[in-house]
Amino acid sequence: MSASRTRRAAALAALAAALAIAMVAGVAFGAVKVAPSEVLGAIGRAVAGAPGPVEDAVVLDLRLPRVLLAALVGACLATAGVLYQALFRNALADPYILGVSSGAGLGATVAFVLAGSTTLGVLVGVPAGAFAGALGTIALVVVLAGRAGRLESTSLLLAGVAVSYTLAALTSFVMVVSRESMHAVVFWMMGGLQRASWPYVGMLAAVLVGGSAVPFLRSRDLDLMLLGDERASQLGLDARRFTLVMLACASLVVAGAVSVSGLIGFVGLMVPHAVRLVLGPDHRTLLPASALVGAVVVVLADLLARVVLAPVELPVGIVTALAGGPFFVWLLTRKERAA
Amino acid sequence: MIERDVLLDFRDAHVGYGGAPVLAGVSFAVRAAEVVGLVGPNGAGKSTLLRAVTGAARVERGAVLICGKDVRELSTRARAKMAAVVPQALPVPFAMRARRFVELGRHPHLDVLERPGPADAAFVEDAMRRTDTLRLAEQTVDTLSGGDLQRLTVAQALAQQPQVLLLDEATAHLDVNHALQILDLVRREADAGAAVLAVFHDLDLAARYADRIAIVADGAVSEPLPPEEALDAETLSRVFDVRAVVRIEPVTGAVAVVPIVRGADVAALDRGLVGLVCGSGAGARLQRELARAGCRAVCGALNDGDVDAAVAQALGHELHLLPPFGEADAAAEAWARERFSACAAVVVAPTPFGRANVANLRAAVRSGSPVVLVGDVTPERDYTGGEALTLVREAREHGALVVASEDEALAAALAHLETKEAHGD
Repeated sequence: MSASRTRRAAALAALAAALAIAMVAGVAFGAVKVAPSEVLGAIGRAVAGAPGPVEDAVVLDLRLPRVLLAALVGACLATAGVLYQALFRNALADPYILGVSSGAGLGATVAFVLAGSTTLGVLVGVPAGAFAGALGTIALVVVLAGRAGRLESTSLLLAGVAVSYTLAALTSFVMVVSRESMHAVVFWMMGGLQRASWPYVGMLAAVLVGGSAVPFLRSRDLDLMLLGDERASQLGLDARRFTLVMLACASLVVAGAVSVSGLIGFVGLMVPHAVRLVLGPDHRTLLPASALVGAVVVVLADLLARVVLAPVELPVGIVTALAGGPFFVWLLTRKERAA
Repeated sequence: MIERDVLLDFRDAHVGYGGAPVLAGVSFAVRAAEVVGLVGPNGAGKSTLLRAVTGAARVERGAVLICGKDVRELSTRARAKMAAVVPQALPVPFAMRARRFVELGRHPHLDVLERPGPADAAFVEDAMRRTDTLRLAEQTVDTLSGGDLQRLTVAQALAQQPQVLLLDEATAHLDVNHALQILDLVRREADAGAAVLAVFHDLDLAARYADRIAIVADGAVSEPLPPEEALDAETLSRVFDVRAVVRIEPVTGAVAVVPIVRGADVAALDRGLVGLVCGSGAGARLQRELARAGCRAVCGALNDGDVDAAVAQALGHELHLLPPFGEADAAAEAWARERFSACAAVVVAPTPFGRANVANLRAAVRSGSPVVLVGDVTPERDYTGGEALTLVREAREHGALVVASEDEALAAALAHLETKEAHGD
């Protein structure tokens, strides 16, 4: 027992260290290179309230919020992926494939078009719209896929893809109708972190804590869900109510991520799956470890997006999709050893 | 006998999933230290009855009580403290460690945010010891065989410390060794005071492990009865539409059920009569094939307890029942000769002849009906001091046919039947 606890602590510490290194690298590289020691120096001066050179502004006002936001987005998407995969007992479930991201995107787009001109609208209205879109979508997909309450893998994914396409079309429609904000919306939907700022970081941090605290505290119940709804109920878990609560949490973190960074695909699919292969299916480990790995992945993807064609920036969603598409194919063709 | 506590009580329960009830008017009780088996055709609602206890199916009228409490008023958690389920063995596709898997059985005893403590670890350890799964503790459940996984599932259920144990075809997909192992385990739990309600698809296992058996069929559940009363040939014919021989298996001392043929295949034995001289089961296959061909066999005089007598009774053939080990008297022989003479032919099965059944051979030879012998009667088959050999010689002089196999005998008998029909009989 204590051996596995030590192993778990060691794994999480290693991942936290990896995230710290990735973030320092993320802040250091870009159009203007900053030495890693300067990165830490600038952060130290800011924390201490001491005055620093002008270059500190690049670190503190531009790079740091962006890298933090990337980490938070990655953690949100990976957390949602863990939850969906556990609740549906399906290794192919993730917010993007289930259509939840598209639903959040549509909700966010509508809110953006209606209220995107005010700070409050961007910080509260857009995430709220995304949350409503995400919740509505997962409800629709679940109803479509499982009439008798049984969520069979294929029907779930098919329903997700079908709903996803429809919502993407609706989103495009909204964009075309609202001509003036179309460019901003298009770039945002492709998945990018260029609009990063401290208020966004604060908002998403609150969403991540709010949406992942309950799942983390109830990680044993998530383990039970791996045995199936009926077995979980036999072992004393009100599976139906628990599923609804967890879907709300997952939708919240997806909505938060989508509302600041648009559609970043495959992180929610790849990360939990890879972490499960290495560290096992125990959610006490899987949830925090996936959040950390998700953070590392998006920080590095954003770094790549910024430097590959510098000074031109790629939307980070392109980077994750380029890596995630082949991973998804590999997962599909692999022997059915789901969850 | 001491009246033990009722731990599971169905009181005129109507159970279903919201539409028309799957089962109506279910009334019986399972007491401490008792195993009640549920048997019945596929889709009859056996699992639904268990689901009524776990809350997965609705009790629409009446009541289901666990330890005196109405299941509808219990929370999922409170119910799981009292009643545990062992479901069918199904592959688990994730790499959870076996000890953790069993530990999930402690869930109903833990508060929402409570971690399992030393007491829980002790219960887990004890459940794993009782199921002989401690050596698997550090393995992951996706790598285990079906038998090991099912014992872990039993351990998981025992970790719930249930007073009521529900088995839903818990031994399906398991080989005979693992099936017995699981049921021995469950029997021990019952002997230690648990009330067990178990769905069986194997009638012999049900008869062997259940104290009482209830039949689930046609939307109702019969009053649980001891196996030898619950599983009689008439019930099996009505419920499963199979003709079966039911007897006490001397090796286990339990009721054993040997299905012979589907009822639909022997619906009406109205094609004609064929005589059969048999005994000790030598004619069992011929009896079945004659029934399949629509013919009623006349089996002569047979002792009660003889396998051929049991098969004849199960299939609805004619026979004159003699007391066990009794010999055929003049009246019995006269009955046999009279009935054989009404047959299109009489087939002599490859049976040895002794005092008990030589009367049937005599009746056959002297009935006047054509005789077909499966294999010649040799001195090795004759335990009557030469009488059987003499009778066979007499039959052959009168044109009896000797064939090599039962199939040829059957064909010959059916040919005689057709000839008889053609003569407008």
